[in-house]
Amino acid sequence: MSKATADRKAADRRAKIEAATAQQRRAATTKIVVAAVVVVLVIVGVVGAVLLGSSDKQAATTAGGSALPKGAAAMGAGIVVNPGAPANVPTLDLYEDFQCPVCGEFERIFGVQLKDLVRQNQVKLVSHTLSFLDDNLRNDSSNRAANAAACAADAGKFLQYHAAVFQGQPAKEGTGYTDAQLEDFAGKAGITGGAMTTWQTCYKDRTHNQWVESVQTQSEKDGVNGTPTVKLNGETLSLSGLTQASLADKIKAATK
Amino acid sequence: MRLLPNPAHRDLLGLLLRLVLGGVVLVAGALKVGHLETSARAVRAYQLLPFDLAGVVGYGLPVLELAIGALLLLGLFTRVSAVVAGLLMVAFIIGIASAWARGLSIDCGCFGNGGTIAASQTQYPQEIARDIGLFACAAWLAVRPRSAVSLDRLLSPAAPARTTSTTSTRSTR
Repeated sequence: MSKATADRKAADRRAKIEAATAQQRRAATTKIVVAAVVVVLVIVGVVGAVLLGSSDKQAATTAGGSALPKGAAAMGAGIVVNPGAPANVPTLDLYEDFQCPVCGEFERIFGVQLKDLVRQNQVKLVSHTLSFLDDNLRNDSSNRAANAAACAADAGKFLQYHAAVFQGQPAKEGTGYTDAQLEDFAGKAGITGGAMTTWQTCYKDRTHNQWVESVQTQSEKDGVNGTPTVKLNGETLSLSGLTQASLADKIKAATK
Repeated sequence: MRLLPNPAHRDLLGLLLRLVLGGVVLVAGALKVGHLETSARAVRAYQLLPFDLAGVVGYGLPVLELAIGALLLLGLFTRVSAVVAGLLMVAFIIGIASAWARGLSIDCGCFGNGGTIAASQTQYPQEIARDIGLFACAAWLAVRPRSAVSLDRLLSPAAPARTTSTTSTRSTR
């Protein structure tokens, strides 16, 4: 091999290596650019979702009026159905969403019993009307029903309204309630005449909406993550196997 | 690697794992992203994080899952995506195991919903088994991110393939 040929081959090889290195460098630059774009997109997406979620929540919790319904002592507190209950009887906290089918089932089994217990003041019933299923079911029926029930509480007809809603619960979860249905329930609950006019205004203005939202938020802070949740003197009752008889026994046992 | 001596076969396995892991993570994100409040509630049901932080995680996680799922399906930045997916799986396994150990009855909320359910409806063993399986996919891809039909290959065509060919040409001469 002559020296000239060897030199040419060496130069050839060097050129090839340089070309390859340049190509690699270009590829590396492209990769960095793509990586940067992807990282920025992901961060923007995640931060955007967090901000969007927070602002939606903020908007929901500040919409409507901030008045407390009759029977609710504070923002986040449930409606005390029978404030006249003596101090020795236990408190039964009921967390329900008007769109929750199992809550409807609970009402069918225990509704009349609870009504009697309340009438005889054998239990202090506190109802927390939740609205978290709206997000799941993509409607606003739980929120509107809770608002409507709060307006019924003002008329002193909370438990009747509560019963009427569950009686009219659609067979298919997610169908929700129309405004007309919610007004119809008010009539069934025994709200008539002037009281009905007040109820209509209360509902239309969402007089208690901020309270409704506060009850939802407070229940989450209290670790209530599903409905129905029933607490007897703060202790969550297991609903599997609960019967009217065993509920009565538990309430009796908790009475001082 | 006695089982799959042919690198091409390992690349195909990598593709399969990418599609499984990326597909599941993408679907999990997609099912939650339209229900951010429910997602936040599902995180709160674990009772591990403070209220507001759980909200942030609940809002942000679905989008992160969408992104990681998409990257894995495309085979773009496979190693980093697999590491993130693997870390997510570890976090999920810890969360579910801790909920189980503390006697909570919750739905893992992995594909939407979430929150308290009847004790008889809990599926902790299945949920953990699924996440361990997905973690295994992520671990393989983190260790060996090369796979068939990936954008990673398109993005760095020269790097591994041509360098080896130049060196081999040189050494045979």
